[in-house]
Amino acid sequence: MTVMQETRSSPGAFIDFSPDATSLEVRGFGLRYGDKPALDNLTLRVPRHRVTAFIGPSGCGKSTLLRALNRLHDLNEEVTWEGTIRLEGQDIHAPEVAVAELRRRVGMVFQAPNPFPMSIYDNVAFGLRLQGRMPKRRVDDIVEWALRSSALWDEVKDRLRASAWSLSGGQQQRLVIARTLAVGPEVLLLDEPASALDPISTLKVEELIRNLKSSLTLVLVTHNMQQAARVSDYTAFLQDGELVEYAPTDTLFTNPRLARTENYITGRMA
Amino acid sequence: MRAPWRRSSTRAARGEGPWAWLAAGSVAVSLALLAVLLGLLAVRGLGYFWPAEVSLVTLDNGQQLAGRAVKEAPLPGGDARERLYRTGNRDLDGAIWTWVGLDEIREESHPSDLVVLERRRWSAFIGRLEAIETGDAGRITGEEAWGALRQRLHSLDSRWAEIESLHHRTIQPLVRRLEAGAATPEEHEALTRAQARVRELQAGMPDDTLVLKTVDGRQLREPLIEVARALRPNNMDMLEKGRVWVQGVWSFLSEGPRAANTTGGVWPAIFGTILMVVLMSIFVTPFGVLAAVYLNEVAHQGRLTRWVRIGVRNLAGVPSIVYGVFGLGVFVYGIGGHLDDWFFASSLPSPTFGTGGLLWASLTLALLTLPVVIVATEEGLARIPESQREGALALGATRLEMLTRVVLPMAMPAMLTGVILAVARAAGEVAPLMLVGVAKLAPQVPVDGEFPFLHLERKFMHLGYHIFDAAFHSGDVQAAMPLIYATALLLVLVILVLNLTAIFLRHYLRSRHGTLSKY
Amino acid sequence: MQHMPSPPPLRRHFRQTRDRLATALITAGGIGVIAAVMAIGVFLAVEVVPLFWSSSGDAPRINMETLWLPQTYEGHQTPVHRWQPALSEGGGEPRFGMLPLVWGTLEAAVWALLIAVPLALGAAAHSALFMSRRLRARIRPTLELMEAMPGVVIGFVAGLVLAPWLDVHLAQGMTLLIVLPAGLLLAGRLWALLGSGLRRRLPMGWAALWLLPWLLLFWCLSSWLAPLLEAWWFGGDLRAWLEVSLGLDYTNRNAIIVGMAMGFAVVPSIYALAEDALSGVPKSLVEGAEALGATRWQTLWKVVLPAAGPGVLSAVMIGAGRAVGETMIVLMASGNTALMTASPLDGLRSMAASIAIELPEAAPGGTHYRLLLLAALLLFVFTFCVNTLAEVVRARLRRRYRRMEGLS
Repeated sequence: MTVMQETRSSPGAFIDFSPDATSLEVRGFGLRYGDKPALDNLTLRVPRHRVTAFIGPSGCGKSTLLRALNRLHDLNEEVTWEGTIRLEGQDIHAPEVAVAELRRRVGMVFQAPNPFPMSIYDNVAFGLRLQGRMPKRRVDDIVEWALRSSALWDEVKDRLRASAWSLSGGQQQRLVIARTLAVGPEVLLLDEPASALDPISTLKVEELIRNLKSSLTLVLVTHNMQQAARVSDYTAFLQDGELVEYAPTDTLFTNPRLARTENYITGRMA
Repeated sequence: MRAPWRRSSTRAARGEGPWAWLAAGSVAVSLALLAVLLGLLAVRGLGYFWPAEVSLVTLDNGQQLAGRAVKEAPLPGGDARERLYRTGNRDLDGAIWTWVGLDEIREESHPSDLVVLERRRWSAFIGRLEAIETGDAGRITGEEAWGALRQRLHSLDSRWAEIESLHHRTIQPLVRRLEAGAATPEEHEALTRAQARVRELQAGMPDDTLVLKTVDGRQLREPLIEVARALRPNNMDMLEKGRVWVQGVWSFLSEGPRAANTTGGVWPAIFGTILMVVLMSIFVTPFGVLAAVYLNEVAHQGRLTRWVRIGVRNLAGVPSIVYGVFGLGVFVYGIGGHLDDWFFASSLPSPTFGTGGLLWASLTLALLTLPVVIVATEEGLARIPESQREGALALGATRLEMLTRVVLPMAMPAMLTGVILAVARAAGEVAPLMLVGVAKLAPQVPVDGEFPFLHLERKFMHLGYHIFDAAFHSGDVQAAMPLIYATALLLVLVILVLNLTAIFLRHYLRSRHGTLSKY
Repeated sequence: MQHMPSPPPLRRHFRQTRDRLATALITAGGIGVIAAVMAIGVFLAVEVVPLFWSSSGDAPRINMETLWLPQTYEGHQTPVHRWQPALSEGGGEPRFGMLPLVWGTLEAAVWALLIAVPLALGAAAHSALFMSRRLRARIRPTLELMEAMPGVVIGFVAGLVLAPWLDVHLAQGMTLLIVLPAGLLLAGRLWALLGSGLRRRLPMGWAALWLLPWLLLFWCLSSWLAPLLEAWWFGGDLRAWLEVSLGLDYTNRNAIIVGMAMGFAVVPSIYALAEDALSGVPKSLVEGAEALGATRWQTLWKVVLPAAGPGVLSAVMIGAGRAVGETMIVLMASGNTALMTASPLDGLRSMAASIAIELPEAAPGGTHYRLLLLAALLLFVFTFCVNTLAEVVRARLRRRYRRMEGLS
């Protein structure tokens, strides 16, 4: 990790990356639901083509932060925010940024699988079709590629026209990942993607995450310490809307700097 | 939320006391009332078409009469009862009903040679067929006369059908164009040709005359072409009666009304009801869905929206007659009056759009049913999990794309339910229509071959209003009763089928969403 | 991930613009539609105002006094209430006393509620607390279908079938009122005496069905009993007795007929809402009461009803709103005579029926026209207020149930 360098310039963030290794940069970001604060003055950088995990107790703001990264809060009129978030150096809240295009570039997978009530094929092709007309062959190719990338192809290749709701929970979640991959995102946000799945499906999804990081920047929110330890390269610990500690995963789990982090981790790991 | 604590324990209910039984009785009574109402409509409505037996009644004083028994009632002040017979022969007796005291009846029989003739001009004739006098001075009598009559009527049927269709398809539209001064010479010629053909058909009809005799011996001569249908109900087996019954139902559904709406069919009313309801759905569906999408997906979910939502819900409870008043004041007098001033000034003072008509009626009912569609659609939209919307957005869909590709397709059954419920409500509403365009008699349906084919300004007939009109504005309610029963049954059936469809759809919708919420 | 190139900016721009345009359109359309529906009240109010503001010279003077207080009309010695908007026999001013119409409307609604409320609430209590769940899943949609029965059909049956029947069988009708409840109470008594085997065959949860033949039996009993009762108590002729001893003249189409018909029409809506309220009571409350040894019926009175009371009340209010505005049933079953008598055996004329009959003939903009619009406005305001109140009460109740469930 040559580009990594330790800095103490910003409060709470104990690692930093050089600008060309950074995919997402959050600076002084705060967010409120109505008059209830959810995130407070967060600053951190997410490295490109790595898996970054956000951990922390329920209500600490980790999901809120994740949703802020592709502006899913836009729909909620109660939400107000301050600070900046940059994707590849560009402010995502800038007026010239089309939010739909931003969300294409920053894909998101949710806690519960949410396939649309259409066929498997149509689910994967959904995002492609939004981008304009495309030759059928090309759509076929991308659908196959996306399903292969999410390790689902062999299970569904014979029933692409079947309803997506007929799949098992784990298959549905991988379908949702495939659907997101198909539109060619640069960043993939995963909001507790395995929390609704059985152990075997969970392992499959985790393996998928590890495979995807060669071509994608991944951000994973999870409750599960072992999962964070298993799949992520860097881990950020959030509490009460603040970033407490941010370090390479090995360091954070074996040798946390702060007592707050250690208490949480040991409490949860035990 | 259902109460899962209901146990089928019999012991616990042992000491429930009297009130519990009165409560149980109220369910039973409500069910019984509903069953009685539906049963009454079904039996009387369907029985109307059954060729019931004709009785030959001999009274103590030797008098004879023939007719169908309709009902019995006690004589005022006493134990005696009397029976009402439908004896027909209005041209001879001046009335079609005869009351007979039960104790006056010496004998009642059902001779097989009694005939019932349905005539085009007068009401039915009940009596005997003596003979047929053919045009060439021949005379057929006895049992052969009946056979000959049947045969002749059968061959006349096709001629009547051709005349009817000529009138309907060719002559009437051409005459209207002629009146409007827009007919071309070719059309003049076509009209002359059609009229000549009608004359030819009429001239070709046999000029036979039936010699008829009532049971009390009066004679009557009736031209054959006056007879629409001839039956000998006492001489028919079940199969034949069934065939006549099916024929009766069919002609009820497919023919126009006769004799001031007291007999005949209800085809124009069926057509008017359906057309009005279809137009209404065309108006109400897009606007209802639009308003629901706005309320549920776009509007700021604050106090104001909540109040607007309650307001819209409550508009469903505003009496339909109030909507009728609004339709009359705003659509008919307001908008219609202005349209007349601007575009139809030539035909004033007789109004074109400034009077009740199909367009205003369907718009009024659309307004009336708008809350139904809005509420049902909103319910459907609210049932769609937020994760579906977020999933679409996260793939880079704009809000419009999210709505049209994910949300609205999922809300489709709910919308359909709403529209069907709206249609069911609209089909049964009569009160507002009385203000904005229903007609007592409009045999011309508002759709024909004449430009612009759909005549939105015309008045139309409606099943519900037909019931009201026949029940309250016909001279002889007793004669119209069977027809009202049949019409009411038809209306109720239509509405029941629509409602059942809606219930089924809603059920389907809920069970489908059940599978989704599992994860 | 270089798999998919970024889409051309033009396309992106187009999608964005289209989205903004559509959002604006939906907003405008939605607000427009809602405004159009709400415009009804505004239209009626605007049309009614000139009535009191600017009576032109030749139009009859209208003010609060002439509308609502008794007036001394030509040919009458004492002040009376009269609604005679178009006097046919030449002379005389039209008489615009609105009170008979309001009276008729309320009288019809009150009779309808008197008949519908016990029936509907009884049915709701039974199906919420006693009925087997399988039967209930069938009964509820059936009674909801009853709500869809068009008014014109009910009005026809009431006016042309029920009215003539009751005209002849008045005594049997009265007898039924006594015999049916008595029969139900007897059924309860007998049932408690039954052996457990038979009782399992005839469970309480299915009483609504197996009581039907029992009720039929009592119907027959009443038709046998009616002439006897009439002979014992009323000298053999109930109608003559009513006229002589109570001074009640029986009119063929009267308030009772209207009440029965409209009661039938209103039962399903009251039933559905009341049943929702009763069965929505949190189960913990009910179980608590039953654990203390209360019978079902005691639980209903002591626990369920106090908790669900507002919901039941709102159901009755919605029923009242429907009864006040129903047009075809009153029109066809009431005789439409604008009388102001308290006798349930007289005819009546409601505002809704007046509007339906008279408005097509009234000259637009005239006094009569505006008065009928005033009647429509009264109906609108009344039903809207009642329904809003009912809706607010129901919303409160839902919140209360949620709280109670949260506590348990």
